[in-house]
Amino acid sequence: MSVRRKGPKATAIRVATYVLLLAVAVVVIFPFLVAVTTSFKRNTDIFTYPPSLVPRAAVTVPAEQVGLEGDPVPVYTFPARDDRSGQWALVDNDASLAEFRPLDDLERIIVLAVTDGDKTGATITIDGEAEDVFLIDDGGTQIEAYRSRLTSGGLFVSVGNPDDTVLDLVNFATPVQEFGPRFENFTEVLAERDPETNGKGVGRSLTNTVLVTMLVVLGQIITSILGGYAFARVQFKGRSTLFMMYLGSVMIPFVVLIIPLFQLMLQVNWRDNLVALIIPFAFSAYGTFLMRQFFLGIPAEIEEAALLDGASRSTILWKVMVPLARPAIATLATFGFLYAWNSFFWPLVIINSGNPDNAVLSLTLSTLGGRSSTDTNLVFAGAILAMTPPILVFLFAQRYFVENSASSGLK
Amino acid sequence: MAAVTFTNISKRYKDGPKAVDGLDLEIADGEFMVLVGPSGCGKSTALRMIAGLEEISDGTLAIGERIVNEVPPGDRDIAMVFQNYALYPHMTVRQNIGFALEVARVKKDEINRRVEHAAEMLGLTEYLERLPKALSGGQRQRVAMGRAIVRSPQVFLMDEPLSNLDAKLRVQMRSDIIQLQARLGTTMVYVTHDQVEAMTMGHRVAVMRKGILQQVAPPQELYLRPANLFVAAFIGSPSMNLITADLTVNGDEVFVDFGGHRLRISPKALDRYPGLRERNGTEVIFGLRPEHFAMEDDIEVGDDQILTVRCQLAEAMGAEVHVHAVIDVPPPMVDGAPTAAEDDPEALVAGTKIIARVDGIHTVAMGQDVRLAVKTHLTHFFDPASGAPLR
Amino acid sequence: MRFRDRGPREPRVTVATGIRMVTIWHLFGVAAGVTSMLLASRTGDDELPVAIKLLMQVFSIVVTVAHVVAAYGTFRGLRRARTVSLVTNYLLFVVAGSALLHQVGAFTAIGKFGTGLNKAFLPFLVIVVGLLWVLVAGQLLSNRPHATGPTALRKAGWGLAAIAAVWFVIAADPSGMLSTLADRITQPLTIGTAIVTVGAGMATRFMWQRRVAVHFGTSAAEEQTLSGLAFLSPNLIGFMFFFAGPLLFSLVVSFFEWKTTGTGRTFVGIDNYVRAMSLDISSTDVANAGNEVLKPGYQVLMHLDWFGQNWVLGARDVEFWISLRNIFIFLVLAVPASVLPALVLSSILASRLPGMKVFRAIYFVPSVAGVIGVAIIWGQLFQSTVGWINYVILRAGEILPFVDPPAEGHPWVSSNSTALLSMVVVFAWMNFGFNTVLYLAGHQSIPKELYEAADIDGANVWQVFRRITVPQLRNTTFYVLITTSILALQLFDIVWILSTPEPGGPNNATTTPVLALYEEAFQGNNQGYASALAWVLFLIIFGFTFAQFRQQKDGATSGGVS
Repeated sequence: MSVRRKGPKATAIRVATYVLLLAVAVVVIFPFLVAVTTSFKRNTDIFTYPPSLVPRAAVTVPAEQVGLEGDPVPVYTFPARDDRSGQWALVDNDASLAEFRPLDDLERIIVLAVTDGDKTGATITIDGEAEDVFLIDDGGTQIEAYRSRLTSGGLFVSVGNPDDTVLDLVNFATPVQEFGPRFENFTEVLAERDPETNGKGVGRSLTNTVLVTMLVVLGQIITSILGGYAFARVQFKGRSTLFMMYLGSVMIPFVVLIIPLFQLMLQVNWRDNLVALIIPFAFSAYGTFLMRQFFLGIPAEIEEAALLDGASRSTILWKVMVPLARPAIATLATFGFLYAWNSFFWPLVIINSGNPDNAVLSLTLSTLGGRSSTDTNLVFAGAILAMTPPILVFLFAQRYFVENSASSGLK
Repeated sequence: MAAVTFTNISKRYKDGPKAVDGLDLEIADGEFMVLVGPSGCGKSTALRMIAGLEEISDGTLAIGERIVNEVPPGDRDIAMVFQNYALYPHMTVRQNIGFALEVARVKKDEINRRVEHAAEMLGLTEYLERLPKALSGGQRQRVAMGRAIVRSPQVFLMDEPLSNLDAKLRVQMRSDIIQLQARLGTTMVYVTHDQVEAMTMGHRVAVMRKGILQQVAPPQELYLRPANLFVAAFIGSPSMNLITADLTVNGDEVFVDFGGHRLRISPKALDRYPGLRERNGTEVIFGLRPEHFAMEDDIEVGDDQILTVRCQLAEAMGAEVHVHAVIDVPPPMVDGAPTAAEDDPEALVAGTKIIARVDGIHTVAMGQDVRLAVKTHLTHFFDPASGAPLR
Repeated sequence: MRFRDRGPREPRVTVATGIRMVTIWHLFGVAAGVTSMLLASRTGDDELPVAIKLLMQVFSIVVTVAHVVAAYGTFRGLRRARTVSLVTNYLLFVVAGSALLHQVGAFTAIGKFGTGLNKAFLPFLVIVVGLLWVLVAGQLLSNRPHATGPTALRKAGWGLAAIAAVWFVIAADPSGMLSTLADRITQPLTIGTAIVTVGAGMATRFMWQRRVAVHFGTSAAEEQTLSGLAFLSPNLIGFMFFFAGPLLFSLVVSFFEWKTTGTGRTFVGIDNYVRAMSLDISSTDVANAGNEVLKPGYQVLMHLDWFGQNWVLGARDVEFWISLRNIFIFLVLAVPASVLPALVLSSILASRLPGMKVFRAIYFVPSVAGVIGVAIIWGQLFQSTVGWINYVILRAGEILPFVDPPAEGHPWVSSNSTALLSMVVVFAWMNFGFNTVLYLAGHQSIPKELYEAADIDGANVWQVFRRITVPQLRNTTFYVLITTSILALQLFDIVWILSTPEPGGPNNATTTPVLALYEEAFQGNNQGYASALAWVLFLIIFGFTFAQFRQQKDGATSGGVS
């Protein structure tokens, strides 16, 4: 894939390549797009078919416009009713309705108020049942019809002409909608919510997660710098054995440790406390390894010069080595951040699920978004809040992150 | 200011070989001592032992009156200039030079004063706020030196500081360093593999080979009175011509026969090498420096002190001509390895190559027979087996 | 102009006096050790968990002995005494210090700090801004050393951070914490521990000094060892305490029947392992036989039809075996799905076409977004009625002839047949980007000349890919396969969020070993058995990795992705 060729075939390949890459990019981006738009939708808007990427809000008119007082009234149209055009405001959605069918056209349905229609006194047999015959008003003329059903529906007032009203089943009306993102989703999901009603807000877990992540990253940076320097530059007995052990520890899956760690937390009474999420993870074998590799790459003469200058090992480490190690530290910080922010399994084990004060984002999200959740739009708002910081951190630290994770991982 | 004393110092590596073997060396206070030798001879190791960067396996090392074997580098009050300068990349020149003072918690204005003083001495004043990456090689070298100077240490150590510089800069820096040391009067231990550098810079020069000290003496002495074959071959450029020959001594008459040639050696050589008298009829290695030759007509010598050879190559250097020739005798070996050109693969060619330096006015062509006059009173003589001079 | 002494400070204590004081301290340490041993033996089993009590007793003995040795050594000025004293005092300092922090509740306070941070989050953000300001100004400063302006900027940053810090303290309201702290500090045990901590700390500090080292004749090599271990100690202590210790304990626990919470444990040897791995097979005449044809304690795992004969395969722990089956199916599907696209895409991205870096970044994002959020999103995408997946399929069915969507949306996650597949999709989506980047790094080390030679030989794109790229990437493929497999075998998070009606999916279709383990430990309250399961899983992972290793070493012929 090196030499650039000209010609239609090469161009075609080039175009095809980009098409492929774009297609994959779409596959990657689309779920996030869905998440973002969902996080701005109203809850009722989410489970509509066909699914849409646009958050919509109902168009409303002020109550006074249709001769009422109070909140604005939603507007509908009737695409299924050929004879009814324009926009209609729904003023009462619990009106008692009756469906009438004309005797000369039993397939047709005319919806009127329950009180409409006068009984003629005659009856007619439909499907073996005797039904009263009514005289109803059908576009000016009186016709005979029977009442096929009683139901409840909506009372609509025409927006253009407040005197014009109609009764109909709400199902036949399509709400008129406009682009309407609901920013309150985010403020609501951040607020503390009543634990009785299904949910916790993510506000508290957000600050908890910030605390945990910060301290874990700080701890990992400090211990890894110290440990990495010891392994890289200080000759001491047993160094290689210990290092082998550290290397080996990366291979052990975390799942083997959760049970004994859990017991340990019980013993020191750290259960259901954020500290259990911090201190055991303030050490990172991987981070130590990373810093060691980096320190090994710094020429020994610089340290020897510093030793001769009379600096103690500690001074050398913090004043000479660390300033040179910025890329590695940035990588470590990024990794640590992502690990701490996104961790789920261990918090699930150690934090009581009924305790919103000590939860972290991943826990709260999982409960919110669980099988019995109802406020999907808030859940998504919470998910967006949870996913944005790591994505931002990654994009920002990308230059260090990607090269280092790949190259050091392969050693 | 202090003397540095090596007493029977050895350094052994885990798998056996000795980097430094039984080194006894006294470097006087204020002396400029050069350690020189081919790569792997142990000179850098010895230097680093003074610095405390290499552990000493045997023997004692003293700086001044103090035995410093176990003293950490930072406490030895020495300063070192590395071959690769080892400047702190993220610090400015000022910070680099002042780092040691900062570590010692010297007051800030004092630091600045001393840093500026050192910078002035080295011509670095306008570069004080720059980072190392913005400096040329020579400037970086001077920063490294500034870092060493500002501490006013008891001993300066320099590990091949000029080998990364181009030739012209090297020559200039050489004189700068010499003058600096003279001015400061601090003991200086200087390591180089370049014997020209060694000869021009040191008060005394210590020649090392395979971890063993061969000879330590002022440069002139090394040149005139080499302690063994190795030193004789190492010092001098082009190196001394070493030829295996049969010696005949008859009273004051000394002859050497080699490869079909016969040379009469001046009796003055016997004064310098009295041991010759006991070596009548044996094989010896005799050494003639290229500068001990001249064209036949340029000096007065007897007919039996003229060597006729065929010129293989003539290098016209301007002021002189280097005449290359081959003597039909196998080149001398000491310790199983060829001596004069230990790294030169051509030394394994049959026959001994010699080089003669003659006045540049002569034109010598390849293939031409040349009659070289030999200043035989300056000849050196060595025992072929041990390499020892026949004194 | 000498400055051999570091700094103008004069030492206050002479070496001799200091050593005498340390010796006395050691004697005190002996006394303290004996006291603590008595204390530990006296406390009842109910006051202190047995493990802690045992630990305390052992520790006390060790400490006492160490102090005896150290006291003798320092008194006589023996050479090794300094090392012994240093190590003893340092470890004592660490242990006593940790105990002190524990007694004072400093650790749990960190967690409680969450409340304070929550109340004072805004000032906290301002502090962060201030510090970032300082950092940025510092960067500007380092790049233009002649400039003087940034110093003022930096000071402004510090000032901002300082003001915000005060605001923070007020808003966080630590008064409650402080009063608890005051209470705890005045306890006699706490004071005792504090004394021990301070004493050990001071002794360590003194003995560490250079001049004491000289006095005792410590060699440079020894000093390096001490120094190295000192640097490593925070890391090492954490490693021992939170990794090595628990690892061992996990192994020990697996040989017990041990309740997770509450009391009750019995030693059962390898019984747990036996129970997990036990399988039984028996032949029957009936097509769908039940548990009765198996040994007691075994339940039906699956029915087989070999050579015209009906067989029933049973296991004692059916759920575990189902989880094994599930995870292997998952592995076989998810790993290629995560690796093959990565291989292909990386080859494209490795070229110098414009915009490659952008794509690379985009592809990587799913790996960092966080599994919970991602699973929630995909849950919505997979939704049978209004999910986008079904909608797209429907639309595709209208355009493409060979796509035949079902009349109603397919319930991806709640259907036995496709639940696991859904997990595969999510897993692959999350991981392929990371693998792409790994492959990209592998591409860097393929010598350009190989491609140039192939170009001259007239090879087409596919041939180059197959004959050069893929074999050259063998090592990377090996690494990618292993890491992806290890991740896949530990599947948990995605299943927990996504599967319905409960984790493990419809009828255990998506139960994974880790899930089974979790349920056993924290719902079944049996951590002994769960630990055994964990070790079995670990052995599987290890065996898998090892097998890959051998294949790699043998230089497998295809050298590709299979």
